[in-house]
Amino acid sequence: MVRKKMNAKLIALGVGSICLLLVILTFYIWYQTEAIRLGLESGKLENKIQSLKEEIKQLEVRKAALLSLDRVEKTAREQLGFSEPRPDQVVYEDNDFQAARQP
Amino acid sequence: MSTYFNSVIRKRMILIGFVFLVWFVVILTRLVHLQIFEHARYKSEVVDQNQKKIESEPKRGTIYDRNGRIMARSLPVPSVFFQPPKNETPAELMAEVDRIRGLLQLSENDMARIEGRIRKKDPFIWIKRKIDPAIAEKIKDLGLGSVFLKEENDRFYPMGRRAAHVLGGVDIDMKGRTGVEQEYDSVLKGEKGQVLILRDARRRGYHVQTLKEAVAGRDIYLTIDEAIQYFAEKELEKTVAAHNADWGTVIVSNPGTGEILAMANCPTYDPNDFPPPVEAVRNKAIQDMFEPGSTFKVVTAAAARETQSVSLTDVFDCSDGAIEVGGGSVRDHVRMGMLSFEDVLVRSSNVGTIKIASRVGEKPFFSTILNFRFGQPTGIDLPGEAAGKVRPLDRWNRLMSLSHVAIGYEISVTAAQLLQAINIIANDGKHIPLRVTLNRPAGDLDRPEGPVRAVENTISERTARELTAVFEKAVREGTGTSAKLDGFEVAGKTGTAQIYDRALRSYVSSRHMAAFVGFVPAENPALSMTIVINEPKGIQQYGGQVAAPVFREIAARSLRYLHVRPRIETEPIITAKLEKVKPQ
Repeated sequence: MVRKKMNAKLIALGVGSICLLLVILTFYIWYQTEAIRLGLESGKLENKIQSLKEEIKQLEVRKAALLSLDRVEKTAREQLGFSEPRPDQVVYEDNDFQAARQP
Repeated sequence: MSTYFNSVIRKRMILIGFVFLVWFVVILTRLVHLQIFEHARYKSEVVDQNQKKIESEPKRGTIYDRNGRIMARSLPVPSVFFQPPKNETPAELMAEVDRIRGLLQLSENDMARIEGRIRKKDPFIWIKRKIDPAIAEKIKDLGLGSVFLKEENDRFYPMGRRAAHVLGGVDIDMKGRTGVEQEYDSVLKGEKGQVLILRDARRRGYHVQTLKEAVAGRDIYLTIDEAIQYFAEKELEKTVAAHNADWGTVIVSNPGTGEILAMANCPTYDPNDFPPPVEAVRNKAIQDMFEPGSTFKVVTAAAARETQSVSLTDVFDCSDGAIEVGGGSVRDHVRMGMLSFEDVLVRSSNVGTIKIASRVGEKPFFSTILNFRFGQPTGIDLPGEAAGKVRPLDRWNRLMSLSHVAIGYEISVTAAQLLQAINIIANDGKHIPLRVTLNRPAGDLDRPEGPVRAVENTISERTARELTAVFEKAVREGTGTSAKLDGFEVAGKTGTAQIYDRALRSYVSSRHMAAFVGFVPAENPALSMTIVINEPKGIQQYGGQVAAPVFREIAARSLRYLHVRPRIETEPIITAKLEKVKPQ
């Protein structure tokens, strides 16, 4: 049997191809892993946004409850010592109310 | 030898081949049995074990007041449910439920209900709905195999009792049961979605997939102004308590648009604790009927002037203080002498009003009553509105009915109908329908409202203006002086009606309904109001004493809040403004 001599160029080409393939595969795997990781991250962030939106809605409800006028009046009168203004103490800037009979 | 061995091997090969063939046929038969004949059953078992489709609840729309303040909103809350595995006994399953009994404070009744459902092999059992999120976390930490948490929505009314009867309420399944929640349920509720849960062998969910996204309900803006609603509720509550009355109701509107700015009832309830107690269920402003008494003289006067059967200068003899009607007599509270048309109304003389009505005649008077839309619902966008009772003309008692109806008896109305009538006067004779919702898209607070709904002329502008002047005088110097406001001309009419006792089958002189209807400022109305206080007990029982002051208090605060300037000459306020001086 005669053993064929391998061409150095061919060997280099083969090794190069394998290396290139490895690089492509590595990149592909990295890309896939990263895509999944970012997808999970994005999902988590979306969930967080959603829960923060819900929290904002809850806080708005709480704010509305705290700004309820009976509570505000009680605080103004009892804690801050406010009282009803006399008619002569009220200053009207402009009359912007749309009444029934227009002039 | 080799032939012998070949023969043995061949036989054995055939035997093994046959065994394999039989085995293959058995396997194939079983496969066909499983994959074809039993396919549906096993597939459903697998799906049942591995997957679960559940409906996802849509978010119910938020209800705002006219200025964008939140009046009702849905927020997510956890609910606990139980999915019993088929291979466990009821005792084992109840042991699992028992582990969370303390946390959820389940009563004996709750436990009996759950056990009953387990014994019926119910695959889905609610343990407790809409629980505290902190308790839900504790349940999650227990890691029970058959106990699950589901996110539901609960309705929150941050202002508690405010505008309770306008808002109404929802049941545990978030279905609107009263008020706007019921009237606009189809708009508010949205559309349900569907979610697929994939589960492992122990039926624990490991993946959730949305099959159909839930569509949130639309938001609704009310015409109610939270501040005016607050003024009305506070004043009404104070008055009902002070006079130890049975109940009271107040409606405030902008007569020019028909928008209800406040609708208050006492007793009321907190929609967060729905359903309300029996005595507070009814929205008395639109559901309870009563005889309007002298407030109905507004309609009698309108009929008289509209038909021209009485002129403004006509004088009526009321000096007897009583008038005979159908064998009985109707009295004034005092003898009043000779009264002009105007003074009959200003002093609210029953005798004078009956004489005016007799000049109008039954048919034109009845026609005016119908034109004012008594006997039919106002069409306000709230459920369960009463139509009131107007007896058909052919069933009127020819001797009495005209006189009785003229002074507000033999006819039943709602507070909303009285408001509608006074709004017609305030709007120069035009009828503008009442409503409690704005036609405004969510989040668009600055968008101007479209034109008001169908406007029809009920009476002439001339009659409306004449009556405005008459009812201004009624407040200035007549029965409604308690409704007078500094800096504003108020037009209004008081009413006091005896209450008919069904058991005694007669009117009781000690039981009254006190009312006031009016608008302010009379020359250019910004507010109109109906106040009804039922059965005030004590010395003061007249509309002018009990209901008119409520008008004054609510109107004073509301007008100031709405920046409606009073006609008071005040000291000019000197203001200074800094301007940049250009360098020379």
